[in-house]
Amino acid sequence: MRLSRDAAQALAAEYVLGTLRGPARARFASLASRDAAVAEAMRRWETAFAPLAERLQPIEPPARVWRAIESRIAPEASRRASFWKPFGVVMGGLASVMLAFFLWLSLAPAPEPMFQAMLMSPDHTPRMVVAMFKPDSLRVKMMHPWKDMPGKALELWAIPKEGNPRSLGMVSNEAPETMVRVAENDSRLQDAKAFAVSLEPMGGSPTGQPTGPVLCSGAISAVRRT
Amino acid sequence: MSRAPEGALDGLIARTALGDRAAFEQLYLATRSKLFAVSLRIVRERPLAEEVLQDSFVNIWRRASDYAAAKSAPMTWMTAIVRNRSVDLVRRSREEPDVDDTLVANLVDEAAAPDREALARGEAHSLGKCLAELDAEQRQTIALAFFHGLTHSELAAHLRRPLGTVKTHVRRGLMRLRECLDRQGVRA
Repeated sequence: MRLSRDAAQALAAEYVLGTLRGPARARFASLASRDAAVAEAMRRWETAFAPLAERLQPIEPPARVWRAIESRIAPEASRRASFWKPFGVVMGGLASVMLAFFLWLSLAPAPEPMFQAMLMSPDHTPRMVVAMFKPDSLRVKMMHPWKDMPGKALELWAIPKEGNPRSLGMVSNEAPETMVRVAENDSRLQDAKAFAVSLEPMGGSPTGQPTGPVLCSGAISAVRRT
Repeated sequence: MSRAPEGALDGLIARTALGDRAAFEQLYLATRSKLFAVSLRIVRERPLAEEVLQDSFVNIWRRASDYAAAKSAPMTWMTAIVRNRSVDLVRRSREEPDVDDTLVANLVDEAAAPDREALARGEAHSLGKCLAELDAEQRQTIALAFFHGLTHSELAAHLRRPLGTVKTHVRRGLMRLRECLDRQGVRA
């Protein structure tokens, strides 16, 4: 379906107003998903009409609505939350992730890391690699930084098999690589099964435990003692 | 219930996109009563409005990562999701739709007295001015359609006008609105 600019404008207006109905409405919505100009016209009308919706007196919905929403998103939420228990490795997109990982490893200087972890965000985007090449430091390679986080900072945590996360230090979002100092046989890394990064105030969590959302995490892979 | 500023809603949507349940719940708490009112005006029946709100928030949870690309204010984006779902689900036949004529009559006054946020964006003021430029019938027709989700034939029944006349009011009213908003720099 090819529409003139004026026709697309007129239909976008009636779509947003709600007078475009039935199959025509569905057709137009599908057109908007394929045509950026149509989507933009729609967005402009939504913005233009937005102040009208603001005028309505708020009405409290019953509590059962939230319970129903929670139960409908529950399986997804627990799947996403499972990155706190990163042994449930998700296979989706793993091939490209591993490729990027080994590409980086191949450029990394010998010797091989003693252990390593690929940290992914909930949408399975690889974000960073944490690896130990020397017993006194962790090398954090940023693969995919976040766009901007004004007033916020990234904090790296070791997740033990049992107990609370242990703070390892701050990680730069901008620098391609951050070295995190640790002690040899650092107790924070004992029994650690995963690393995670949370969003925290500048300078780090004020409580010693993650306070912001966990942005990415990953299981520590088999330790290769050299 | 306090109204979260738009900036805060932005952050909550971003965290929702990362699967943050607590942020999603805050987003719901901050916006539910506004959005429920939007839907209830259109679908009129509470159980149906509850279904709309439920579907919409499941949708918001799933689509939160698309939000950045939508380039809209948070409330505009969420209101559009709720309005669209309302229009999809509204199903009763309304020979004599139950509408709030006071709301419609006050439309221009109210839109011309916008809240501070909207005023800061310069949108509400322009919209009020532009609605005031329309003929009374065009304005009434558009307001009825917007607030109550009336179809062309429902509008015709309520206003006791021929269907063709109502369609013309809507089409011309929107066209004039767009010209006016373009002049005001809102570029609807």
